[in-house]
Amino acid sequence: MSAVRVQGLWKRFGEQIAVAGIDLELPAGRFIGLVGPNGAGKTTTLSMVTGLLRPDQGTVEVVGHDVWRDPVEVKARIGVLPEGLRLFERLSGRELLAYTGRLRGLPGAEVDKRATQLLDVLDLAGAQHKLVVDYSTGMRKKIGLAAALLHNPEILFLDEPFEGVDPVSAQTIRGVLERYTGSGATVVFSSHVMELVESLCDWVAVMAAGRIRAHGPLAEVRGSAPTLQQAFLELVGAHGRAATTDLDWLGGGTR
Amino acid sequence: MSAVGLTPVVVRLKLSLLRNGLRQSAGRRAAYITSIVVVLLIAALQLLGLIALRGNAHAATIAVLLVEVLALGWAVMPLFFPSGDETLDPTRLVMLPLRPQPLVRALLAASLVGIGPLFTLCLFTGAAISVAHGPAAYGVGVLAVVLALLVCVALARAVAAANIRLLTSRKGRDLAVLSGLVIAVGAQLVNFGAQRLGSAGLSPLDPVENVLRWVPPASSIGAVDSVSRGAYGLAVAQLALSAAALAGLLALWSRSLTTLMTSPDESTLQAADPGARERTSTGLSRLLPAGRTGTVMERSLRYIWRDPKTKAAWVTSLAIGLIVPVFNALQGTGSIYFACFAAGMLGIQMYNQFGQDTSAFWMVAMTISSRRDAYAELRGRALALLLITLPYATLVTVVTTALLGAWPKLPEVLGLSFALLGAMLATGAWSSARFPYSIPQEGYKNVVPGQAGLAWISIFGGMIAAALLTAPVIAVAIWLNVSSDGDRWTWLLLPAGVLYGALITLLGLRLAAPRTAGRLPEILTAVSKG
Repeated sequence: MSAVRVQGLWKRFGEQIAVAGIDLELPAGRFIGLVGPNGAGKTTTLSMVTGLLRPDQGTVEVVGHDVWRDPVEVKARIGVLPEGLRLFERLSGRELLAYTGRLRGLPGAEVDKRATQLLDVLDLAGAQHKLVVDYSTGMRKKIGLAAALLHNPEILFLDEPFEGVDPVSAQTIRGVLERYTGSGATVVFSSHVMELVESLCDWVAVMAAGRIRAHGPLAEVRGSAPTLQQAFLELVGAHGRAATTDLDWLGGGTR
Repeated sequence: MSAVGLTPVVVRLKLSLLRNGLRQSAGRRAAYITSIVVVLLIAALQLLGLIALRGNAHAATIAVLLVEVLALGWAVMPLFFPSGDETLDPTRLVMLPLRPQPLVRALLAASLVGIGPLFTLCLFTGAAISVAHGPAAYGVGVLAVVLALLVCVALARAVAAANIRLLTSRKGRDLAVLSGLVIAVGAQLVNFGAQRLGSAGLSPLDPVENVLRWVPPASSIGAVDSVSRGAYGLAVAQLALSAAALAGLLALWSRSLTTLMTSPDESTLQAADPGARERTSTGLSRLLPAGRTGTVMERSLRYIWRDPKTKAAWVTSLAIGLIVPVFNALQGTGSIYFACFAAGMLGIQMYNQFGQDTSAFWMVAMTISSRRDAYAELRGRALALLLITLPYATLVTVVTTALLGAWPKLPEVLGLSFALLGAMLATGAWSSARFPYSIPQEGYKNVVPGQAGLAWISIFGGMIAAALLTAPVIAVAIWLNVSSDGDRWTWLLLPAGVLYGALITLLGLRLAAPRTAGRLPEILTAVSKG
């Protein structure tokens, strides 16, 4: 069974069409990358898939349950780390996890045990009593990831989890995600950094201007191109654009 | 750079910054000129008023008090307006090879340039003239005014330098959000104090003056007064006190400047206090009920204390809810029914519950998948509110009753308060779900542009609805009060009000829950604009 099935998804903000009819089926148990340039509609798509934004049209099914008609089944099975939304920043890292876990209906003792382990693994134990408002970007992403993992979801949706994150924190996040998918769970994450997607994912979907341009196993999407970056530039039609005769005066040499 | 050359350089720097700031926009220029004119007018009027006071029995009291109030203003100003003066931000000079002593001198001189010092100079001059009698007193007066002004400026700089870490940190910005509130509540208290003085005259202030005339910088004005009365020994002691205060403040300023410019910024240091404060399970969480209700209550209560916006809103409600009934009662103009004000003001906090979460509401939205979840969420928030509101409204009502001595009315007013509170909670929960809006996290504003209409509908529509919902209880109260034999039965309004309030709250939560559960994405969008 597929982890996520999206059919005819549309979203319009005023004049601007953010998502223009997406049909997509994401396989379960994979590390899935959603790539595309800024403004391609990645965040809008992920928000609609996770139930944080109502689509104008179309249906979304997560592990066979409709996101809008059957939220009880869906919300217990997914973990989300959105981009551009706050956390409850006036709680400390540990309090935030305790709060999230208990809201999810987990028993208190179990929440505290899992929180301790997550804080240790994500290298946040030293800052667990600091308020999240005083955290750095990397620490915020990590505490957000911990909150998303706390209830052991089947599918994890991460919007730009590596954006603005230092290399050490990025490596920690990577390690946790790889261990998580290794056990059969699904990760869907968005990024515009191709090298990252290429090194992490085994399945990718390429988005541009609100549409899916290609999807499938990494090797398939890359095709004959040497890198995913090349394949992507060809897909979105941006290839060779820089090599025109404009700006021929720019650079060293004769002046 | 030589020590002699630094002072004019810094003063010139300040003048160019001022000029360039004004050159940026015509609006700013107009604002600056207007403020100069207004300040000079006020200063001139005050000066005239103080000169007119010469010979009045309370002249010294007023002069000394005025100087002390101004000094207090200088002390707190930098805390509320930290970014007011660019030349004086020493962290900008940190890369220059400057010694502390010349730097302090130069910065002090630069601080004397501006509207604030000019205004202060005018008033201090007026204060000195109002108490000076004889040439000797005038001579001392010149020294006293300069000394007092220097103490004020040094005080402001010392306070700012000592707190600059705080002022540029997150805690400082939190403080700035609360500052408007301090001024608002302070104004209420000053207003009340002025009314009392207006009726009783200035005599109650004389003992205060006897102490304050020894507290710098007012002690230098006190010295002028002492010279006028021929007490030269006292005058010397008072002047010496002011001079000592100046020296002490300059030393303090110089020391904090040195540490500020030679130690690394705190934000670059890693926190090295793991486990310093173990508070995984506070006493609070053990007292609260288990499950979603307790979790939501705990978070709401923590936010009242930790989130500056929420805190400001709560403190305003608590203060106004107390000040209006109690002060009216103290002045003998109050009615006991004003005590309902406390319940009404605190009930407002139930409005726009999700807006108070800001876009962090997504964390709540992800865990609400049924009406029952939404009901538990709203109930938890209402209970957290009641935990503070119930005892507080009761206290205010009892205090007001005691001040007015209207004990037989207590049950009736309590009943009305609780019924009103219930109606506010019910309408608050419903409009939280139906008319959510964003609360910006920075600055004083409570509504983002474009949502003001929504906020008005939410709060005023809700309040009118709450008043209508309380109408049955109010009607019964009126009926019992006007009917000949009703007084014996007014106590019934207490249990009736409690019951009515509880029922209507439950009903409101029940009606709000499905709306919340069904509108989660819309609520999230509405509250994420801050």
